Amino acid sequence: MTKHHLPATPDTVHWGYFSKTLAPVLTLKSGDRAMIESITHHANDDYARMIEGDRAAEEIFLWTKDQKTLRRRGAGTTDGPFTYGAGEGLGVHLLTGPVAVEGAEPGDIIEVRVIDTWPRPSANPAYAGRFFGSNPAANWGFQYKDLIEGPAPREVVTIYELDMGDASVKALYSYLWTPQTDPDGITHPTIDYPGVRVDHTTIVKKEGILPGIKVPARLHFGTMGLAPAEADFVSTIPPNYTGGNMDDWRIAKGARMYYPVAVPGGLFSCGDAHASQGDSELSGTAIEISLTGEFEFILHKKEELDGTMLEGLTHPLLENDDVWSVYGFSVANYLSELGPDHQSEILKRGSLDSAMRDAFRKLRRFLMTTQKLSEDEAISLMSVAADFAVTQVVDANWGVTGSIRKSLFPAR
Amino acid sequence: MNAQPFTSESYSGDAGEAAWQDVLRGFGLQSQGARHGSPAHASALSRLSSSGVRLGKFSADAQSLRSLPPSAGLPLLLIPVEHSTVLVAGDDRQIVATGQLILAPRGADWQLQFQRGLRAVVLSVPAEAFRGRKVPPLAAAQPRVFGAEGLPDIVGRTALATAEALDRLSESEWEAVAQSAAELLLALSSELVAATSDPSSSRAALLQRLYATIERSIGSEDISIADIAQAEGISERYVQKLFEGTGESFSHYLRERRLQRAWHDLANPAEAAVPIAEIAYRCGFADAAHFSRLFRERFGLPPRELRRREVDRQTHSAVASGQRGWPQEALVQLRARQVASGPVRRPALREDGEVGTPVSEAPARHYLPVHAQHVHWGYFSRSLEPLIEIASGDIVTVETLTQHASDDPERMIEGDPGAESVFHWTSTDKTVNRRGAGPLDASVFGRGAGEGFGVHICTGPIAVHGAQPGDVLEVHILDIVPRRSRHPAHAGRVFGSSVAAWWGYHYSELLSEPHPRECVTIYEIVTDTDEPYARALHSYRWEPQTDPSGVQHMLYDYPGVLVRPGTVTLQEKVLNGVRIPLRPHFGVIAVAPREAELVDSVPPAYFGGNLDNWRLGKGARVYLPVSVPGALLSVGDPHAAQGDGELSGTAIECSMTGTFCVTLHKKANIGGTVLADLTYPLIETPEDWVLTGFSHPNYLAEFGASSQSEVYAKSSLDLAMRDAFRKMRRFLMSTKALSEDEAVALMSAAVDFGITQVVDGNWGVHAILSKRLFAQHEPGERGLGS
Repeated sequence: MTKHHLPATPDTVHWGYFSKTLAPVLTLKSGDRAMIESITHHANDDYARMIEGDRAAEEIFLWTKDQKTLRRRGAGTTDGPFTYGAGEGLGVHLLTGPVAVEGAEPGDIIEVRVIDTWPRPSANPAYAGRFFGSNPAANWGFQYKDLIEGPAPREVVTIYELDMGDASVKALYSYLWTPQTDPDGITHPTIDYPGVRVDHTTIVKKEGILPGIKVPARLHFGTMGLAPAEADFVSTIPPNYTGGNMDDWRIAKGARMYYPVAVPGGLFSCGDAHASQGDSELSGTAIEISLTGEFEFILHKKEELDGTMLEGLTHPLLENDDVWSVYGFSVANYLSELGPDHQSEILKRGSLDSAMRDAFRKLRRFLMTTQKLSEDEAISLMSVAADFAVTQVVDANWGVTGSIRKSLFPAR
Repeated sequence: MNAQPFTSESYSGDAGEAAWQDVLRGFGLQSQGARHGSPAHASALSRLSSSGVRLGKFSADAQSLRSLPPSAGLPLLLIPVEHSTVLVAGDDRQIVATGQLILAPRGADWQLQFQRGLRAVVLSVPAEAFRGRKVPPLAAAQPRVFGAEGLPDIVGRTALATAEALDRLSESEWEAVAQSAAELLLALSSELVAATSDPSSSRAALLQRLYATIERSIGSEDISIADIAQAEGISERYVQKLFEGTGESFSHYLRERRLQRAWHDLANPAEAAVPIAEIAYRCGFADAAHFSRLFRERFGLPPRELRRREVDRQTHSAVASGQRGWPQEALVQLRARQVASGPVRRPALREDGEVGTPVSEAPARHYLPVHAQHVHWGYFSRSLEPLIEIASGDIVTVETLTQHASDDPERMIEGDPGAESVFHWTSTDKTVNRRGAGPLDASVFGRGAGEGFGVHICTGPIAVHGAQPGDVLEVHILDIVPRRSRHPAHAGRVFGSSVAAWWGYHYSELLSEPHPRECVTIYEIVTDTDEPYARALHSYRWEPQTDPSGVQHMLYDYPGVLVRPGTVTLQEKVLNGVRIPLRPHFGVIAVAPREAELVDSVPPAYFGGNLDNWRLGKGARVYLPVSVPGALLSVGDPHAAQGDGELSGTAIECSMTGTFCVTLHKKANIGGTVLADLTYPLIETPEDWVLTGFSHPNYLAEFGASSQSEVYAKSSLDLAMRDAFRKMRRFLMSTKALSEDEAVALMSAAVDFGITQVVDGNWGVHAILSKRLFAQHEPGERGLGS
């Protein structure tokens, strides 16, 4: 087993999209491990705490009138004039990768084990060694059109500090988003393009918020997944059959994720790390932090899947010490089901009702295939022992997780 | 039938391809298969009307479609959406753009090549959709493409709009839309004939116009050939000749159409109250006796008998559509006839020594055994006489029975005096007659008294001294003990039942045959171990059961029908080796709602009721807003285990006895506490606050008179999520004194939303807030003044 290290640098990250056209920044063998750094795309919500002094972060986020290190942010057009910017913010997550697994072919499954995770400390001498995150209540949040206090609508950014000592997160301050003008002169009245530095002279900080409240830490990567086959550039926002923006806090240390391979090498990327998140990710974001993960990659070849838990798997699957979870989406494979306008069509399709339907079908198939249950047995067991939860209602392709405890099957 | 979803994702390997062909076959279509070898994906949403009209929306990989061998009916209507398609007929190849309409005769030799993926809306109208009306002979015609203008535009828009709304239309809405779509397609098909210059086709078109004239004048008794001929400006002789050409005389055709129209009206549930003579008159029969005779000769049964059969059929189709509770039509008729169901008065029984009103100041203990006089079955009612009155702070032990004990009477009823008393039912005697909130005379479906509109055996109600609307009742579950079998062969063991029922979430899309089907699994609950669990003993398919009153239950449509040994085939070794950890809880904890006299026990709402949340177990409390004097607390629907979702329609239903501490929080004392402003059931466990969101938080008030039907028709997790979000925001703002922004931030970072159930009419999403978050939090919260 080889242990690789993949730092986050301008050359190892891609912003806002998955793409089968990207050359791998690391190629490893099945069984290898890799330490992968990720930097949150919300770091510019508080430049001083989350970027300043951090060479890699400074370079990645560099954007002046003359220079923009990572020009494309999103799967949208890169030919101006732009509404929001190059890539049009159609996809927002700053991902590290892609990592290719030698020999991976469409039809195979790549297993990714999350061995451990470490938050990335602030490199600013004023805050050295501390960990910060940002949680914007954004325009794509579930609350945005349903606000009861003024001014409505509004976006509010809350900056948090993570305390690794007692594994909890506390709010530091919040501010109302104000129109921000980027170095290219485009004004962003709402959070519509990632990585725009918030000019702290334009905002009013509100201190003393969420007093005394400690949110238990749930360190995890919101986005982990492989490149899909259907299009060259695919937004990172809607999760899909090859994973991506799953936003499930259970994909944490100790978890094993299984992804169907759609392109040669698989092309794994990760990012969008969270210090904590509730089931539903209601406001549109979690507590977004920069995180480094150690992962182990295992390739399961197509011809070896029959009779295993991975037989017939066409969607992401989670396994940890306690459960198996299948991920239901509003549209199971939106890239192939929604036609040429899939990137905009999916925005209209978010529904828990269809996601629940999908989760039910996937769990039924999982139980019938891997536990050799009859349909009647699978349905009875799902009713009395499977738990369906809301994963997220903010990533266009909404999610419902269906989980079944492994302890149900002691004699198997 | 409800909209049928289909996706190949449900199937492993080749089974998906076969299932997809089945879907297409329903439309008279066949797939030539995917062009590429890649995994074929296909999904569809389709719906079938009672007259055979079928509309579907397809989304699948590239493939070709062609017609199956001919069947009688209008040409198929296909509208490509998103991608164009190539129509191949003979040597002709024509590109059909999106939004254009293809009218393709059944059984003809044509092919549609969807080269960039199949995305289309398809309408299929069989001949029987017109109940005897003539459909032009079109099988030999060529497929034709229409641009989106004029009539084709209207037909196309109707089909597309209907396809978009397919799963949101109620049963009666869908029937009306389907029939209109069929009429529109008929009009367009006639144009197909008229447009050709073939003389036989122009004759056919003229004939179609004659038919249409007849349809318009069917109500007039003395319509004659002369009238028809005059209306079309042709001679009587020519009319006769045209009809002779069809092999049927004018007078015969006219009578046939009148009888068909009468048949249609008699079968219409909305016209069930119209006298038969009136319907006969409408259809041009002045003499009712004459009409009855003709009707019987034609259809082989008298008009009255047809009506009765139709009621039966409607009953089954209502069930097949997966909708529980009152059918909309029955509620309409109920109102029209001004029939009040009448208040429920039951003599208060004080026959048990332990039962009675406490007089002492100290918390008293009460014991409420279960038997026929201590339960109400399938409904809540503000008018029920309480069994006992208790004081705030009293402790009451309540025996409850599962309504599913009848699934295995030997294990769960026999030898148990309480259960035997409740389930007792012979041809002459039924101790608990009313089961459900429906009419006592079973005049809607004929299932039995109460019609099974509500199924849970509830023990109670218990009045709480001094409780008034606006107060909050706290029910703290101190203990839950399962009820052991008293049958000599099974004495001391504990059993439960779980039914994958017609109201289950899975029912509309079962994979394996036969379907649909209902399946009952009997579980044993093993408690004498460190980690109690349930294991399946055996299962059986539901078979029609005849109850002691002689009613046959094709489906599990009425609670407490004893499944007799020998009527079902037991399947052994089910879920072999699977151990299900227990989560003992009560599915139903309710106070009486204020809005209606009799309320179906199935949909939960602000008053509690069928919450079906397994977190309501030992150590948990539920706070319920009181809405009638005395609160009227009832408990039932005990579960040994349930998953979030309760997918099949039931949990492991198992009789249990609960001990509760009941505390009344007076309105005047709850300001500033977590109970201030409580308008919904709030669950508290040692670790968490669990807020209950519903599709319709107060469906009784929201839908008014039709609520007990509407709540089943309009359920949605999206609505329930919205409700849970609003409730949690309010809870955080009012009880934790957070600003809206703080509340929203906290919800995103730390509140977990889960799916409670998708089977109780009013679907549920709960929001879980960990108390740990507030360990050091000061503002806002005060302790409960208890």
